[in-house]
Amino acid sequence: MNLLTQAVISGLMIGAVYAFLGIGLVLVYRTARILNLAHGESFAITGVAAAVLAKSGLPLAAALALAILIAVAFALSLHRFVLRPRAEWPAGTLILITLGAAFVVRGVLILVAGTDPVSFPVLFSGASLRIAGGVIPPQGIALVLLGFGGSAAVAVYLARTRSGKQLLAAAENPYAAELLGVNVERARLTAYGIGALLGALAGGLLIPLIAVDFQSGLAMTLRGFVAAAIAGMSPIGVVFSGLGLGLFESWVGAYLGALYQDPVMFGLLIAVALWQSRHIRFGGTRRA
Amino acid sequence: MNRSLLCTLLLCAAGSIQAQSGPILIGEVAPLTGPAATVGTRLNKASKMWADEINAKGGINGRKIELVTCNDEARPEKAVACLRDMQEKGAAMIFGNSLTASLRAMQPLVKQGPLLLIPSPNVVPPADSYAFQVSPSDLHLTEAIAKYMKENGLNKIGMVAATDASGEVGVESAKKVFGDQKMELRLARIDLRATDASTQLANVAGQDIKLVYSSYTGGGAVTVVKSFKILGLPQPLMVSYGNMSEAFVSLIKDVAPPRLLGTSVVALVPEHLSNAGERSRAQAFLDAYAKRYSEKPDMINLLGKAEVDVAEAVLRKVSNPADAAAAKKFLESTPIESIQNQRFSPTNHVGLDASSVIIVELKDGNWVKAEPIK
Repeated sequence: MNLLTQAVISGLMIGAVYAFLGIGLVLVYRTARILNLAHGESFAITGVAAAVLAKSGLPLAAALALAILIAVAFALSLHRFVLRPRAEWPAGTLILITLGAAFVVRGVLILVAGTDPVSFPVLFSGASLRIAGGVIPPQGIALVLLGFGGSAAVAVYLARTRSGKQLLAAAENPYAAELLGVNVERARLTAYGIGALLGALAGGLLIPLIAVDFQSGLAMTLRGFVAAAIAGMSPIGVVFSGLGLGLFESWVGAYLGALYQDPVMFGLLIAVALWQSRHIRFGGTRRA
Repeated sequence: MNRSLLCTLLLCAAGSIQAQSGPILIGEVAPLTGPAATVGTRLNKASKMWADEINAKGGINGRKIELVTCNDEARPEKAVACLRDMQEKGAAMIFGNSLTASLRAMQPLVKQGPLLLIPSPNVVPPADSYAFQVSPSDLHLTEAIAKYMKENGLNKIGMVAATDASGEVGVESAKKVFGDQKMELRLARIDLRATDASTQLANVAGQDIKLVYSSYTGGGAVTVVKSFKILGLPQPLMVSYGNMSEAFVSLIKDVAPPRLLGTSVVALVPEHLSNAGERSRAQAFLDAYAKRYSEKPDMINLLGKAEVDVAEAVLRKVSNPADAAAAKKFLESTPIESIQNQRFSPTNHVGLDASSVIIVELKDGNWVKAEPIK
């Protein structure tokens, strides 16, 4: 087995998860100006619900489809019934509300599935692909393709299509956007829906390769946030930051050891944040 | 003056009688939610089962057991708050049913008692303390692995260990035991949030390595097993004692490597206990647990049973169980009958040793004694 090849394969898979989760966070942030700390719950809900439904006898595809629907419904409900009626509240308060929602989901998942990790079978079975001394399972290939493909598609949608630009306009200046005929509410609902769908897809593809439990959601939100923050909340940037983070994390783990992972990763995050804020003065004005 | 002194003495005596005739308060610090909830809830099931059984029979010496469980979420600061609260309430003893970091934080707080019983192999209490470990230590578990390797003519092992406090204990034990035995240890650490273990396994599972050991527990152990299967590694994979559960087996049954081994106390496979008393007690517990909870008991439940057996012996045999010094002296001088008998001494507060450990293997969904490595 070749360590370098395996580290690249592992990095691509980890990077796809970063991209999947990061693009969802960016989409909601760029549309509603809210950092949705319950974003990773779509991952956890999908995993736990799919595992419970599959165990109850539902065919895997049906269980997964239903689980994804539940995850998307949660995100839409969070926006429609919790955040939207409080749209005038300070952003910090709304962010805390999303954190509260994440903890509510945790509690519900414990009630539904208990505290033990759960999982479900892979959607894409078959022999693993062996390349240059590395191994990747069919499910891993699907994760990489859909992770980077899906997040890139969302980035292109936002940048190049009329409805994508309307989503971004809804956040930049919601009143002006409404005057120009943009349905701001529908744009935000769309953003929450797509974001949750991507998080749910990440869960559907990754969880069969690992396991999930009630507390996985916040860890996934953190992953998405790191990718999104390094990308400066840029939709296209998050695809590349996800790829870079995945490869970086895998190589650090393979050659330096996992003990170095957190210091290196968060050190990188701080360095990027400092670089991005180099023109900002105290008080928020830009340096000349 | 004399009358008021008499009244005070009478009140004190009444209070003392009340304290010795009311329910016996047993404190339990366990993570019922949070990352280690799977450990806390399993130990809590054994504690609850014991308290209910004792109370159904009228209690111990006429006194019922009042089990008070405090959820520390495996967070040391919460564990300390839980312990202090229980000390204030006058708990006769504490079940330290949490993880390494919490147990380490609690230990210094029981310098004056009460007894702190610890089922975790990862924390070895000093012999001058009021803490007693009712399981084999991590060092003992590692010694059992080394013995199994020696019996199979192996002198190299690959190991994947988590980056948390438990993983650190495992690494220290492995370096000491395998180092002392001149065995080669190839080590890779894995982050607790890892979603793939293939690079770690690629690092440690070379062709010259005939056995890979993962000291990881819970969801992380599942990730290691699945990555092991994806890589198609031919070696037997050994997992740690924390994974000897039905929940773990159901998660990995479709992706288990060709041979999945594990470390456990012998009571998990009671037919291999040579002591007839231990065998019958272990079997009785396994049956009673399965009947009550409709699930197979696992290694963690068994350690919970060992803990309550030690507690019960103290409560039955020590005239004032709340007297920590008397309880300590009793435990240091009396072997305790359990699913595997516990032997403490004034110089050793670990009740079991390497001979209480067995290497098991998963066959048809059940853990049985491991066969040799061919």
